[in-house]
Amino acid sequence: MTRPAIFLAFLCLLTGRAGAEQLTISLSTGQIMVDSTFTGDTVTLFGVIERDAATISRATGYQIVVVLRGPPETVVARRKDRIALVWVNSASETIVEAPSFYALNTSGELSDVSTDPLLARYQIGFDNIQFTYENRAVANDPAAAEFRRAFVRLKEKEGLYTERPASVSFIGATDNVFQSAMWIPANAPDGRYAVEVFLFSGNVLLAREEGELNITKVGLEQVMYAAANDHALLYGLACVGLALLTGWLGGVIFRRD
Amino acid sequence: MRAALYRSCVRARRRAQQLTDSDWRCDVVIYLPIAELSVNMFIIFGMGGAVGFLSGLFGVGGGFLLTPLLIFSGIPPVVSVATVATQIAASSSSAALSYWRRRMIDMKLAVVLMIAGAFGTLLGVVVFNALRQLGQLDLIVSVSYVTFLGLIGGLMLSESVRSIINARRGRPAPLRRPGQHSWIHGLPFKMRFKRSKLYVSAIPVVVLGIAIGFLGALLGIGGGFILVPALIYLLRVPTNVVIGTSLIQIVATMSVATMLHAVSSRSVDIVLAVILMVGGVIGAQFGARVGQNIRGDHLRALLALLVLAVGARFLVGLVTPPAELYSLTVLTGGGL
Repeated sequence: MTRPAIFLAFLCLLTGRAGAEQLTISLSTGQIMVDSTFTGDTVTLFGVIERDAATISRATGYQIVVVLRGPPETVVARRKDRIALVWVNSASETIVEAPSFYALNTSGELSDVSTDPLLARYQIGFDNIQFTYENRAVANDPAAAEFRRAFVRLKEKEGLYTERPASVSFIGATDNVFQSAMWIPANAPDGRYAVEVFLFSGNVLLAREEGELNITKVGLEQVMYAAANDHALLYGLACVGLALLTGWLGGVIFRRD
Repeated sequence: MRAALYRSCVRARRRAQQLTDSDWRCDVVIYLPIAELSVNMFIIFGMGGAVGFLSGLFGVGGGFLLTPLLIFSGIPPVVSVATVATQIAASSSSAALSYWRRRMIDMKLAVVLMIAGAFGTLLGVVVFNALRQLGQLDLIVSVSYVTFLGLIGGLMLSESVRSIINARRGRPAPLRRPGQHSWIHGLPFKMRFKRSKLYVSAIPVVVLGIAIGFLGALLGIGGGFILVPALIYLLRVPTNVVIGTSLIQIVATMSVATMLHAVSSRSVDIVLAVILMVGGVIGAQFGARVGQNIRGDHLRALLALLVLAVGARFLVGLVTPPAELYSLTVLTGGGL
């Protein structure tokens, strides 16, 4: 590090103590209801960077990072290989507690936001998500890299993993009120989602704030989902009953003799 | 009703705006609670109807068409297999009812097949879940489809073509002689089935019931297209009771399969099942009407070609290099 850089870092540290920016965030909704017509929904995050008299003005502009993570899931990633003419699932890797959903919105390019070690520490960006594997001692084991890449790629294809640079914008002419829209697709798993907002300036993290979003099935969908999982036997009986009833009705309505 | 439908449609479209760009149709999108994805209701309904039409036309359950169709259209294989079991129970019971009214069922034979079928189904669901855990379910399903559809389709095609040629040449079809016996009729534990005028060993009946139940649970098929020829050619059950009896057996095993899938893999999607059922029951009625105007051997030849085509589709899928080598299976949490 050069001397001016150290000085700058020290200054930031100092100002961080004295009168750092404060982040206040709010989501357009804290709860997304999944009903029979659910085809996805947009959630907008609003945020304010609060400064006081003691806050110095920054030479570099603010960079904002918004991360929305879905509930963790354990997933097996499998690779097909050709065995005697036929393509068969062969090698596999079990990824433990990976985010089922990961949406990253940033105000600029990720390389402009901060340095790699800092991004890695806060798991910002696909390449920085910590993946732990069953039967592997260390997280992000390079031996499982191909499965990690495949996992991220498939999740991207499903629309569950997104990285969108330049998707956080300041409202109007302000330099401290921002918004960011996030798309929740219909296939997003339900559960508790954690939203994290980071405020960077000149590669340094100034503030961090967390929020929460719940995606729940409601109405008939919730009843059916709960029934299928909590009262599997009754649910099965209901399905059979419904099938026989439909069949009987069809036979009666379309009776020809 | 129409207004409510329109309202929900408008709401769905407004929500879907971000995904679809040129959406001028009124798609009734419906969310499947167990499959956890949105589908176009009309497409699924149409699939149910089309398969129902074919099943009414050919007198088969249509599971071997519907399960692959659902899988190819993006419904997870686990949900497809389990839900089609429910759909087949509905369509078969509708057809069984009409055979029941006409007294074209051998109840004793059906009960023996049913009990054996229930055991086979249990076995099938156990294997189904074990294969799912190993990640080899899709492979085994595909290989089984290729094998069975190829075998049955080939046999049916050659039989029907022979009978068409015979009819063209003005030769009468070779009649089945009632006295004809095979090694199967020499087995012990004989049982008398009055309605079928049969006195055969219980062993082939039980084995057949178990095999059909097993395949039904594993592959999401009713197994009618295997059971009917087996009953005719192996056991020499008279053709007038064969279909009714096999339908009763299919209703029973598919009901058991629905129950077991619901309890073990929790993958029966009731919304998907209802759409398929309604489409299937309606389609089957039209199919049965059209089928009455087509000659039996022509019908069998068409069915054979259809069966072979589905088998070939699976074979192609097995041997061509997949576009995507990797796949993900969620074990716990998230979108289970």
